[in-house]
Amino acid sequence: MKGVILTAVSILCVFGILNLGYYQDWFVARPETYWNEFQKQKDEGDDLVARRTERYGVAYTISMKIMAAIQRKNLAHPVVLFEPNSYYRDSLHIYDKLRAPEPAVFYYYTGIEGVWTNSPNVAKANFFVRISKKGVMLDEIKSPQQLQQILAFYKRYPPIL
Amino acid sequence: MPFINFFLLLIAYLFSGYGILNMVRIQLDKTYTITLSLLLGVAVASFIPFLLQLFYITLTDVSIFISIAVTTLLLSIPTGLRIRKEGISAALKPIIPGTIRIQACEIPFILVIGFLVFISVWRCYDLPPTSRDVLSGPEAIAEVAVREHTMVNSFFSIDLWSTNNQFKSPYLISLQLIYKLAGFPFGQIWLSIVFVSFLLFLYHAMREKLHPIIAGILLLMFIMTPEAYAYTFMILYDYSNMVFFCTSLYFLFGFLRGKPDSWSYLSGILMGIATYIRSETLVLAFLFLPLCLFIQWRNGSLKKSLVRDAAYYVPSLIGYYLPTQLWIKHYLPVHYDMGSLVNTHPSDLGPLFQRYHDIVTRLLASEFAIHLWGYIFFATFFLFIAELVFVRSFTKEARNWLYAIVVLYLGLGFLGFILPLMNLDETTKRSMFKLLPVVVLYLSNNQLLTRLSGWITRWEATPMGKPALAGADAKGGGGSKTGVLSSKSVLTKSGKTVAAPSAGQKSPNPRKGKGK
Repeated sequence: MKGVILTAVSILCVFGILNLGYYQDWFVARPETYWNEFQKQKDEGDDLVARRTERYGVAYTISMKIMAAIQRKNLAHPVVLFEPNSYYRDSLHIYDKLRAPEPAVFYYYTGIEGVWTNSPNVAKANFFVRISKKGVMLDEIKSPQQLQQILAFYKRYPPIL
Repeated sequence: MPFINFFLLLIAYLFSGYGILNMVRIQLDKTYTITLSLLLGVAVASFIPFLLQLFYITLTDVSIFISIAVTTLLLSIPTGLRIRKEGISAALKPIIPGTIRIQACEIPFILVIGFLVFISVWRCYDLPPTSRDVLSGPEAIAEVAVREHTMVNSFFSIDLWSTNNQFKSPYLISLQLIYKLAGFPFGQIWLSIVFVSFLLFLYHAMREKLHPIIAGILLLMFIMTPEAYAYTFMILYDYSNMVFFCTSLYFLFGFLRGKPDSWSYLSGILMGIATYIRSETLVLAFLFLPLCLFIQWRNGSLKKSLVRDAAYYVPSLIGYYLPTQLWIKHYLPVHYDMGSLVNTHPSDLGPLFQRYHDIVTRLLASEFAIHLWGYIFFATFFLFIAELVFVRSFTKEARNWLYAIVVLYLGLGFLGFILPLMNLDETTKRSMFKLLPVVVLYLSNNQLLTRLSGWITRWEATPMGKPALAGADAKGGGGSKTGVLSSKSVLTKSGKTVAAPSAGQKSPNPRKGKGK
């Protein structure tokens, strides 16, 4: 009988904690949501790209599209120049939704070298990614002059994460 | 196949960790032995690809898994000697799981905690690492190392202007590499071994002092700290650092209470691992020296303890030297000016006091703090004040854990002051994970909780209809030899000593402290 009483007390304690202030909000927002995600994920199989896409979001999708486009061009040492994220923040005002991956993370996603406008390796850039409200574009940089023009345009915008 | 590899690695961890426990000649009960063996085994594995790299050995699945097997065999030599002496069943008994006894009142906690553990393990296995600190450093290095068979790989040739994460400890790189080669594309699952082992360790430590209901409440509050829970399935350094730091303190404080020297050796090793994971832990480790010296001076054993105290810090110094001095300065192809990270105006103490102020107002006592830690720190503060006011004394063990809380507060504030890169909202916040198990272990020694535990235990032991028994340990409360754990005799309200449950009767008492 005492065991039953103590078990009832345990249930009350657990129930009390799970419904206590922020714990309740957190439990619904996190573990419960994760459980619902688990219910979906367990049937989805082993599609690693899908899981990465879901987890890493737009930056990963863009990176993979850039990789696919570059692979089609079959260039030996592609180096991709990204616009500074401060340009998206201060000029295009899309920073909340979208930002360019930092070169280290881009390399992790794709195995392709990326540079920012202030990078010591920026002179090696032979591709340039432009993001606008219309979409993402990948241009080939054909001459050092073209690269200098691009860098001059973004001089006002320092690279940020 | 990955799951076979997972279990083979688990067995390797169990035996290599158990080998270390046998090497320092520490004898603990099953739960401590198994959980510590696994934790130590993970730590051993985290050194292996790193050491191979230090010797310029190519990192392939063959070289790494053979090295793990050889290391396990070498570390099992003390176990082998023990088998020769005691026989195989006696020597391996501590790591063979026995019958698990669960009380009915533990089940609600087990269900909820089990649910949270399941979610964590699933996410660890199923989702790729996401933390930016990992993607722009250790995870990327490990991923490239799988292709290029070296940790010093092409990742270091790209533009790393935006990150310094490539300079962090090889602990994560090594473990990620092992699990990627074992067939887990996202690695990570090793973190679940650390997480589950530590939960069991912590619960077992609490159950030495507390009734299952109270231990269950504390464990639930520990696991439900939103910020720390997230890092049970997102690999980073801080959760592992917390685990090894806390287990180290557990054995250090045990040693200071009079346990054998082996407790000090094990504590030193665990602190060394914590320092290898996060190098600034060295500063915190040294802040425990005054406590050790004071207790040894009071016991009159200061002189003969000095050599052992110095030896205690050897693993920590090695754990500091390997990743920060040897690895960064002599192996990595890129330069890291660590001197530039140090505060150039140490005489200006304003930022130091500002940091202490910010830790309290932002990270401990604000709405933001509730979003990070839930209510665990508020509950601790309330129970600390209650103990101070109503009991007006602290047990020796509680004092040690309170000392650890103060060390963490002062130490983390100081580190944030001396290393400005340790910002408040990220690095200091995650460093405060270490405070979570420390407050839980303080609460395990809080006399109000130990007395309540004792009261529940005695009430449970008396037949229905009879009045609940008065506290037999009204003075001491929660000492492991009295009150909660004593099943020899209890004091009734009338002052009579009555017999506790007989040997054959099922004892409702929490388990006795088995650490020898």
